[in-house]
Order: sequence, then C-alpha cells, then structure tokens
Amino acid sequence: MNINLKIAIAEVSPIVRSGVEVQLKKLQGFRFHFLEIVKTDGLVDSLRMHKPDILIVNPSMVGVLSLQQLKEECGCPQMKCLALLYNLTDKTTLRPFDDKLSIFDSSDEIRQKLEQLFAVEIQEDTTETGEQQILSMREKEIVVCVVKGMTNHLIAERLFLSTHTVITHRRNIARKLQIHSASGLTVYAIVNKLVELSEVGKL
Amino acid sequence: MYKKGQYRETDKMSDLICENYAMVVVMCRFGIGLGFGDKSIGEACRHNEVDTGTFLTVVNFLIEERKSSYQEGDFAHGSISVEALISYLHKAHDYFLRFRLPLLRAKLLEAITGDCPEDVAIAIATFFDEYAEEVNKHMMYEEKTVFPYVRNLLKGKKDAKYNIAIFRKRHDQIEMKIIELKNLILKYYPGKGSNLLNSVLFDVFATEEDLATHNMIEDHLFTPAILELEKTLKQ
Repeated sequence: MNINLKIAIAEVSPIVRSGVEVQLKKLQGFRFHFLEIVKTDGLVDSLRMHKPDILIVNPSMVGVLSLQQLKEECGCPQMKCLALLYNLTDKTTLRPFDDKLSIFDSSDEIRQKLEQLFAVEIQEDTTETGEQQILSMREKEIVVCVVKGMTNHLIAERLFLSTHTVITHRRNIARKLQIHSASGLTVYAIVNKLVELSEVGKL
Repeated sequence: MYKKGQYRETDKMSDLICENYAMVVVMCRFGIGLGFGDKSIGEACRHNEVDTGTFLTVVNFLIEERKSSYQEGDFAHGSISVEALISYLHKAHDYFLRFRLPLLRAKLLEAITGDCPEDVAIAIATFFDEYAEEVNKHMMYEEKTVFPYVRNLLKGKKDAKYNIAIFRKRHDQIEMKIIELKNLILKYYPGKGSNLLNSVLFDVFATEEDLATHNMIEDHLFTPAILELEKTLKQ
C-alpha cells in the first residue's frame, strides 16, 4: 500500500533541496509529491495554496513566526513540521517541531521518522490490506443495484437501509475496488458474474 | 541525462527532442514538423511561425513537471503569447479526441475481442466510450466557452458574465477515469492477455500522463496568463 504524501521543502540551497528529494524518492511504500519553496517570503503563500502534509523546513526560514502561527496562517493545522538541519541549532528553536531531519541521516533513519509521524495512518492501512478487496455480501448486493442503474434512494428502499448507509457502503466499495464509476463497476460485476449483461441498466 | 536548467532558443531542437522524447508531440502540436535538421529551437520556431517564448515556456514547464516538482514563480508569464498557447491547447484537444482516444479504443477492442468473454468485452467497450465522452465534454467546454471568451479578451472585449475564475473552479481532473481503466485491466481482466493488450496498457499509462500534463498546462500556465490579461483590461 503506497502512502501518498505532499511534501514541501523550504530551503534556500538548491543542492540541499534536491538532495532531500532524491533521498526521499528512494523510500519504498511512499509516493511523494514535492513542492519546493526557495524564499522565505514565499513560504506562507505556497503553504496556503498547496496545503502539504509535511513541511521540511530550514528553521532559519520560519523567521519571526512561531510554527503554531505559521500553521494557522496557512490554514493547515494538521501539517507535520520537520526541521532540516545541517549545523548545530539551539534546542529551544527545535522544540516546536514534530521531528528533525539531519542531512547526515541515512535512508533508514529518514524512513523511520516518516513512519513514526504517520504511524496511525500506516496501521489503518495494514488493516485495510488485511481485508483486501473482498466485498461483503451486502456490498455485492449494492454493486448489483448500482450496475442495474438504481439511484441511492431506490437502493435504500429495496434493501431496507437508510440512504446514508448506502452512501457509506458505496464509499467502501470504491475504496476496496479502486473503482468509482458505475460503468467501471459494471465491468467488475460482469467479470465476477454478479450480473448478466442483459440486466445492466443502460447497455 | 538531464541537461540541468532550462532550454533556451539557441539550443538545438534535436537535442531537446532526443533528451526528452515526449516533447515530440508538443513540438508537433505547435505545428513544427519533423526534419528540422540542425536548426536551433528559435530557428525552428521562426521557420514555422511559432512564438518561441511560448514554446520554450511550455517545454520547460513540462520537463520540470516530469521531475515531479517545480518552483512557484519559476515561469514568468510574460513570455507567453496567449494566442499561441490557445492554438497549442486546441491542437492538443484535437490530438486526444480525433487521434489518441479513437486509436486506443480500436487497439483495446482488438486486444480483448476473443480473448475474454464477450459480455466483459462489451462492458469494457462501454466503459471506454463513457470515458471518451467525458473527455470530449471537458474539452468541448474549453473550445466552446473558454477559448471564445479569451479570444474576445484579446480583442479588448470583456464579457461581464464570464471570467476565468469560473473555469478554474470547474476544471476537473479528467485523468481519474483512465486510471480506473488501468485498474480494471490490471486487477480484474479475465482473459489470458497478449502482447497487444500489454501494448494497450502502455498506451493507457502514457495517455494518463499526457492528459495530466495537459491539465497542468491549463492550470499553471494558461489560467494565470488569462488572470493577468483580465487584470490589465480592468485598468
């Protein structure tokens, strides 16, 4: 299971910036989307616009703002902040950060830090891969209804469920199968012999 | 073998294409044909009456994007000719709708017919047609609403009822559904498969990437350029 992360790297030196990127890209199990922030005055705007999951920042670029203020101003309170270090830095400066990334860290150390930060999500993911893509009986029933062209409302009536429950089921189905459209579900349903072609809504 | 940094008009066209073969379609969409000899990028552009600044901006933007990151403000919109960019986007639409997708459809059908149960093949074909229709709608909106609006802007006429922010809001990700097609084939395809089907998969991957970068150009080059244009007209 790949974890998608949007990472902002705020650092003036292009060599250090691309070095961090290269190291991160080597990590298996993650898919990164990078955003480079090269100047202090672009920091807030870039973060506000792109709302990254992680900010790896040279502490000197945060400037007079506290990290808390920075998160608030950018509207991303959940963002994890890693201090990017290549020299000795005062402990008080580092305290508000979620973790530190030294340019001397090995790949394994970087991986451990990221996994720790996202420990909760990773655990959730493993339970998900445990149940894999197998649909429950109820979910299969719902797939059949969707494929026959029924609305959520109709499905709810037919199966004696609330519309809300049907929507939840549909969301779970989409997540398990990675199929979101009705026509995609049709292919799935026919391949798995849940329906006959003749029963399908609009074919 | 990336040449670090951006391409300039004095660089050779053949170097650009050999180092980034995906740019061959970009070149073609701008209306520059093959057989450009030893011409530099600037010479090839002028020879074909293509705006060099716009060509370089698009090419450099795409190459940066391929490295999966780009810097905010890296691309000065001043070097873009909106007219040239629209003509490029229009040709790209034409390419997807009249060439890429029909070809992909024909190849896909050929690969699955007889290889998987007939009903599955029909369902896959239907899926593909719905997808192609979505792309068609998406692009036709741009052709029929957005581009005419911008062409009027260029003439100095402003439409009181429309602005590019509307486009920015409703501009959705058309590559989502082709990702689904890829998943369907990878995970659930019930036939034996063949070299032809693998080749279809390669095409699907390439089309997905191509559509994604096409959208990136619209979001990060086209829209900002129009925003600028709107601003200057207000003054």
